[in-house]
Amino acid sequence: MIPIDNFLVLSAILFSLGMYGVLVRRNAVLILMSVELMLQAVAINFVAFAVYLNPETFTGLIFGIFVIVIAAAEVGLALAIILRLFRNRQISNVDEADLMKW
Amino acid sequence: MTYEEAIFYVIAAVTVAGGLGVVIARNVIHSALFLIMALLGVAAVYVLLASEFLAIVQVLVYGGAVTILILFAMMLTRVRDTAGPMDGPQRPIAALAATIFLGTTVLAVTQTEWRGNTEEATVISIYEIGEVLFTTWAMPFEIASLVLMVSLIGAIVLARGEEGE
Amino acid sequence: MDQAWLIPAIPAAAFAILLIFGPYLPRKGDWLAIAAIGASFILVFPVLADLLDQADGTTYVAGEKAWEWISFDLAGVGEKFEIEIGFYVDPITIVMLAVVTLVALMVQVYSIAYMKGDSRYGWYFTVMSLFAASMLLLVLSNNLLLLYAGWEAVGFCSFLLIGFWWEKRSAAEAAKKAFITTRIGDVGLLIGIIMLWLEGPNTFNIQEIITFAEEGGYDNTYLTGAVLLMFMGALGKSGQFPLHVWLPDAMEGPTPVSALIHAATMVVAGVYLVARMLPLFEVADPIALDVVLVVGLTTVMISATMGLAATDIKRVIAYSTLNSLGLMFVALGSSAVAAAMLYLFVHGFFKALLFLGAGSVIHATKEQDMNRLGGLAAKMPITAAVFAIGTLAMIGIIPLSGFWAKDEVLVFAKEEQNIIVYLVLLSSLVITGLYMTRLFVRTFLFAPREQAAYDHAHEGGLLITVPLLILGLLATVGGFVVFDEVGEALGFPGGFAQFVFLNEAHEFEFHLDTAITSSVLAGGGAVAGWILWQNKAELAARIRDRFAPVSTLLSNRYYIDEIYQFVIDRIVLGLGSIIAWFDRVVVNDGGVDGSAKLGYFTGFEAKFLQTGRLPNYALAIVVGILVLSIAMLVTQV
Repeated sequence: MIPIDNFLVLSAILFSLGMYGVLVRRNAVLILMSVELMLQAVAINFVAFAVYLNPETFTGLIFGIFVIVIAAAEVGLALAIILRLFRNRQISNVDEADLMKW
Repeated sequence: MTYEEAIFYVIAAVTVAGGLGVVIARNVIHSALFLIMALLGVAAVYVLLASEFLAIVQVLVYGGAVTILILFAMMLTRVRDTAGPMDGPQRPIAALAATIFLGTTVLAVTQTEWRGNTEEATVISIYEIGEVLFTTWAMPFEIASLVLMVSLIGAIVLARGEEGE
Repeated sequence: MDQAWLIPAIPAAAFAILLIFGPYLPRKGDWLAIAAIGASFILVFPVLADLLDQADGTTYVAGEKAWEWISFDLAGVGEKFEIEIGFYVDPITIVMLAVVTLVALMVQVYSIAYMKGDSRYGWYFTVMSLFAASMLLLVLSNNLLLLYAGWEAVGFCSFLLIGFWWEKRSAAEAAKKAFITTRIGDVGLLIGIIMLWLEGPNTFNIQEIITFAEEGGYDNTYLTGAVLLMFMGALGKSGQFPLHVWLPDAMEGPTPVSALIHAATMVVAGVYLVARMLPLFEVADPIALDVVLVVGLTTVMISATMGLAATDIKRVIAYSTLNSLGLMFVALGSSAVAAAMLYLFVHGFFKALLFLGAGSVIHATKEQDMNRLGGLAAKMPITAAVFAIGTLAMIGIIPLSGFWAKDEVLVFAKEEQNIIVYLVLLSSLVITGLYMTRLFVRTFLFAPREQAAYDHAHEGGLLITVPLLILGLLATVGGFVVFDEVGEALGFPGGFAQFVFLNEAHEFEFHLDTAITSSVLAGGGAVAGWILWQNKAELAARIRDRFAPVSTLLSNRYYIDEIYQFVIDRIVLGLGSIIAWFDRVVVNDGGVDGSAKLGYFTGFEAKFLQTGRLPNYALAIVVGILVLSIAMLVTQV
């Protein structure tokens, strides 16, 4: 009974929040959390489309599952990199890691 | 407004509040807790989308494992000791960009004529999900498991460091 | 006759061998160069015999043989573009071949003695071989492109030989001057050739082009332009006014080289070209032949008068060459090919004789200013005798060879042209008599002016005197070929004109009035010269003082060099500096350096975009997405 637009707008809001977080935050872990927010927004979008518009094959739902799986793998890997960065250079803010420049 | 809609708005409010908390909280631990709140809210949204299976997975993977992982990372990198402001100098432009993005997206969503049933979610049973996951999507499923394993190994190798370190 | 290609090929092969192995050969390989040119000279006779055998009494069967050189399909036209290496033999070719090979042979034999001990002795003979080969290729070629190749090779060799003693600054300058001046004409020649090809029968073959033109294939104005451009090439090569300036300076080369350039190769190439292409001049507007005539007359007059003022013996002879070449062009301008070729033929002998004689003097005295010579006849009797023959031949005293040739030209000028031309030619004869006599008198007779040079003088060895004597003999009797009886006795169908044209020719006529007029004038000039310059030349000095401005004008060569220098300094270099500025500032600074600097500066400035900070990159991505999404919204809605 809830129109699909509601979910899409919610997804948009979450995505925008995540985008803001990615752009603003300095700490790598916080950026990662913002990225998670964006991923969640995308997953909501997928699932909403699947159950409303395409219930016959519900590909979006399956996609949502894969998003969660890949996000989990990504978090593990990203945290390992952050840990490594901290251990080697004692920094956890991404704007301090600026060796890859001119 | 139906009661379902009312429930949706409550849950949506909680989720958005969680998301907002993540990106504006001054304290990193608070951010992490807000993230849990947002993630659980998303799990509830999945319920409203008639996808109980996804909701359960969300709670298990995100509410549990990912959050714990993030908290561990915070602990290990001693984020609270980090000097300097939490946010970078891009805040005004980031806010503007996020607002514009939200505006265009909402505009796009409301302007689009969606084809199909836009009023009611169709219930998809766990049985059906399981069936297609292991038939039609068997190949991506296996590849996803491989990706998981590779990232696991990679994470271990990265985090462990070199010999004698 | 099919073997005619061997005539240039043998010296060319000698050149190749000398170039590579020359330094390792005994005597630096001079014998090889001489053997090669000697072989070419001997080969001329079988070719000539073939030509005479195949003649049927009224026309020649011109020998022609060709190999394919370049051949490809012309894009878009559907025609084949073909260039041949082809050889063409007719009487004109034979005359040229005979002169070139014989004079080159004499000069090279002479050079053994003259160049002895020079540090580049071997190189000298190497280039001489190439010089002869190029000239022979030029005269034998059946198509214009091959002719042009030989033409340029001749120019290149003359550059090498005039600048043979390039350590001397004046020699290097003279070589450059000769090369650049002739190049100016060569550009015209090349354009003319291309013009003939463009509108012509898609071939460079000379005979086919002539046939095509005679059938009216070319537009008349167009053809006139083309032949005048080709005549520019002849102007430059033959040192005709106004491109004559290089020829006197070319005296900086070794004297045998001057002999070769003036008598056999190089300068007569222009005469040959015009003679060969004369049918085109005749088909074209009459103005083309008039131009040839006027240029020839102008050259005759200015060179003869300049010869009066020069004191360097080689320069005087150089001016006499200009004088002779002018006469040849006058003959060509009157369509008298036979007369021009006859003059060319005998001129080759007496001019080589004069130069080699002068070389003998220079070799003996190390002096070439006639003001410091004199009285040499006592010490160098053979040289003086043959030099006298050469001088008289040049003046045109009966019965020496120059007389008959000059007489032919005069007859034509009198009959074909208006009286002014004839009068100008007659007056030039007087002047020729004057300055040639002056040259001889000042060099060989009366008291020596410089005792050291006189004491040093001695007759050269056999290698010097034998070529002089042979050339002296030829210069004496060479003119008799005009008579039918002489020609028939030698196995030709008749006299020289008969040989060149067979039955189309006019008979050689001995015009008693012309002969007497010219002899009186030339002889009078000679006697006057004797009177003026005898003993201490007091009379001449008095006249010179009396007409000082004229004398100054003459010894400064009409200031033509100065005018050219002015034009080059002010106009050419001025234009050049504008172009140089354009090149330096616009092309180089703006285009080449500018684009590089643009890349450098943008790179230098733009690198700061790469901050290395993650949030900046993220922002860039977001901005990109926003721009795209807004663009999409705008276009979709």
